[in-house]
This record gives sequence, C-alpha cells and structure tokens, in this order.
Amino acid sequence: MSNQKYFAARAALIAAALGAFSIGLPSAAAEKPSQKAQANAAEFARGARLWAENCNRCHNMRDPKDYRDEQWRPVIAHMRVRAGLSGDQAHAILRFLQESN
Amino acid sequence: MELSNATFARTLIAAGMLLVLPDSAAIADDGLGLLKREVNELRKELAEVKAELKQQRKQAASKDEVSVVENKVARVERQHGDWKDTNSTLHVAGYADIGYADAQNSTGSFNQARFNPIFHFLYKDLLLLEAEAETGISSTGSTEFNLEYATMDLFLTDNITVFGGKFLSPMGYFRQNLHPSWINKFPSAPIGFGHDGAAPEAGVGAGVRGGFGVGARSQLNYALYIGNGPELASDGSELDGVKSGGFTRDADGKKVIGGRLGIVPIPHLEFGVSAGGGKTSVTKDEGSGTAIVGDAARDYTVLGADFAYQRKQLDLRGEYIQQRVGDASASVAPRGGTWKTWYVQAAYRLLPTKWEGVLRYGDFDSPHDVQDQQQWGVGMNYLFGPNLIAKLGYEFNQGQSGTVADDNRLLLQFSYGF
Repeated sequence: MSNQKYFAARAALIAAALGAFSIGLPSAAAEKPSQKAQANAAEFARGARLWAENCNRCHNMRDPKDYRDEQWRPVIAHMRVRAGLSGDQAHAILRFLQESN
Repeated sequence: MELSNATFARTLIAAGMLLVLPDSAAIADDGLGLLKREVNELRKELAEVKAELKQQRKQAASKDEVSVVENKVARVERQHGDWKDTNSTLHVAGYADIGYADAQNSTGSFNQARFNPIFHFLYKDLLLLEAEAETGISSTGSTEFNLEYATMDLFLTDNITVFGGKFLSPMGYFRQNLHPSWINKFPSAPIGFGHDGAAPEAGVGAGVRGGFGVGARSQLNYALYIGNGPELASDGSELDGVKSGGFTRDADGKKVIGGRLGIVPIPHLEFGVSAGGGKTSVTKDEGSGTAIVGDAARDYTVLGADFAYQRKQLDLRGEYIQQRVGDASASVAPRGGTWKTWYVQAAYRLLPTKWEGVLRYGDFDSPHDVQDQQQWGVGMNYLFGPNLIAKLGYEFNQGQSGTVADDNRLLLQFSYGF
C-alpha cells in the first residue's frame, strides 16, 4: 500500500470514529430550556422587579448579600406586613434575594 | 445512525492503532534496530510510570482517614441543613443611633444613645412574631425601656394577614414605616409625629391587613384594626394631650376602630388615606401627676392622608394627620380639641457621591398655643451604606416666643440599621 492510500484509509477510519461518537451525543444546538427553567427565570425576573419597585417606597435598597438565605425569610415576612404585599409578591422577592446573595 | 458499544470500541481501537503504528515503509527502511530502540524507550517509560504510581500509593489516604473526613463532611452538611430547613427561624434586626443636639438658649449635648433590637420569629410561612425593644439613655442617666411593639401576624391567605398584640398604629405612614432612624432621612421626626404629638403612635388590639396586585403594575394595600384606643391627659381643667402609646386597659370601655387604605397606581407612587374613631377619656393629670378614674367617655376621631413618590435620586413624601377629641361636659377637662400636623420632605441623592440633601417643612397645631410650631429643616446625609448613615441637620423653628418650640437646633446623628 502506498503512503498516500495508507493515510487516506487512516483518515477515513478516524472520520468514521469521530462521526459515530458525535452521533451518540445530544446536539447542544438542539437542546432547549425546559418549561420549568423558563418559569423559574420569569419568576426570578418578577422578583427582581418587585424588589426594585417596593423596597425603596420606605428605605434605601438593601443589598441581597446583607443576609443569608434563611435570614431573608423572616425579614421578607416582616416586609410583607409593613409594605402591604401579597404573599405571592413577597415570595417572588424572597426568591430573588436568595438567588442573588 | 448509532453504533453499538462494541462496534464503537473496535472502531476506536483500529483508528488508534493506525495513528500510533509507524507506516510499513518506515519499518522496512530502519529494520530491527529501530524497533529495539523503541522497545527500550517504552520499557524506560514504563519503569518511570511504575515508580510514580508507587509514590502515589504511598501518599494516598488510608480508608480510616477517608472515613474520618467523610464523617466531618456529613456533620457539616447536617449543620448547614439545620440552618436552612428549620420550621422556626429567628432573626434579630433593628437599629441603633447616637446623636448630638445644640439648641438656642441651651447647652449642646450628646443627647442620644439608643439601641432598638427588633426580634423576628417566623414559624414556617404561617406566623411571624415581631417585637421591638426600644432602649435608650435619659437626660438624667437612667436607662429607658419601651416595648415599641409586640405583634403576632398570622398569614391566613395570600391577601389576608390577621394580626394582634401591641402594634405601631396603622393610621398614617410615618409612625409605622419611617420612624426608625436609619430610614428617616432627617435627624429628628417631623414635628407632631413624635411621642405625644398629633399622629397616633401605637395600639393594643387586633386586625387584618394585606395587599393585592392590581393589573400589571398597580397595587392596593390595607389595614383595619380594633383596639383599646388612646387615653387623655389633662392639666387642671384643660386637656393636655392625647396619649397614644398603647394600653392594655380600656378606661372608657369603648373600642376604637381605624385603618388605612394605600393605593400604588404606578410603581414608586403611593397615596394613602387613614380614618378611625371611637371613644376615649382622661386618665391622668399631668400637672399633679395623679391618676383620674371614671372620667366621662368622649368622642375620638383620626383622619390622615399621605403620599410618597420616588424618581431616580429624588424621594418626595408628605403626610397630614389629625386627632380630634370631642367635648365632654362631665369631664375634669370639658373642652375638647384638635391636634393636627403635616409635613412635606424632599431628599435627593447626589450621585455618584454618597451625599444626600434633605429639605423638610412641617406645621404642628394643637389646642394650646404654646405647643404650636412651624419648622424648616435642612440637612445633609452621608451614606456609608444603605443602612449606615451620618446625618447633619438644622431646624429653623418658629413657635411661641420664649418657649423651646421657638429655638433653632443643630442636630448630628449617626444611625445603623441592622
């Protein structure tokens, strides 16, 4: 076998191997976020908006890093009472703070 | 098309061999000597790999050592889980401040050292117990303590919270939401919004409150309560003032009902109206300090309105509130009166700096001319953080000549909200 033919055969085998490998993997381009992930992102954005719109009705905006996750729970419960927020609004703000600290 | 694992593996091995092996022409040219050299090199590399493996085995942790680490990790995970997943959560918030005041016709002094912890106990997402313990030093050096509020909030539905205990008065806005010094943008409260002013301070009773989202961006919030109501102080045969700090007795036997409705038509703009009424009576003579029992019950009404608007660096707000006490011919102080006050305030952040300018005007009117006061306040704040503020303010006060209400004041305050 000449060198030219030998390299051609070796390249064909490598291409076949790589092709077979790529067929077995899911395509990154074809992967779409699940509905749950989309809903989470929307809820996060809603929480951020409510946080920005409501907290400075009374005081300077507090940094999400001011408290740990479990500390934000009673703080936001307190703010739900003071600011007259619905439970749904308070939960959205809490989620935003817990995911941003 | 997908290949089976076995087929795929064979393909890879074949490809690998083709890549690794030298081509046949080269073997023919170099002969056996080349192969021997390659084998020797491979043996040498194999010996080095074996030596390295042996060294790694020596350094590897024993099973016992791994077990100890695993136990430690499990303990930390357990402790961390305890923090995150408990049914009851305690959080201590609050604020503290120190201050200096220098008024006309008096000596300047460091007049403020307060520590007001607020305890939040949350049970699941069902109940919040919140209590503020206001502690401070008096002018004579004694420690003053006041349970500012102790309220239980039961989150009944998404829009209804039932509350009870001692609570900051839901009527009006400043007393309930703005009085903590790290929130209030001026070193002093607006005139008439402090203790024994025109604005109700607190109540003891129960009520409902909550909020609704309306449409995409509007909101409604409400608070409605029933409580024991305030008591009155007399000075001889005249009313001295309304005591609205909250009582666990109901001297007149008739309750007070009140509330506030807040509307947020667009984000950063809020309007509120407050109203309440019931009965009250005189229980103490301030002049002599004696208690008065069985004084006649008389009408008591509260009316208020407030607004707040924020746009970029501007914070603009104002509030009007009044308490009216009716006449009672059988009382030790028969003639009633109205205590009313209002203020408007503008604060502006001077970005990108940490400075903030404040301008406030207030007017307090009581049945006694000696208490009447108008006030301009000019201030400059420095925000070390959103909850750590140094304030410098100057009050231009106008009251009855010769009284403290007429003395201007320079104020300094440093406040920390935690």
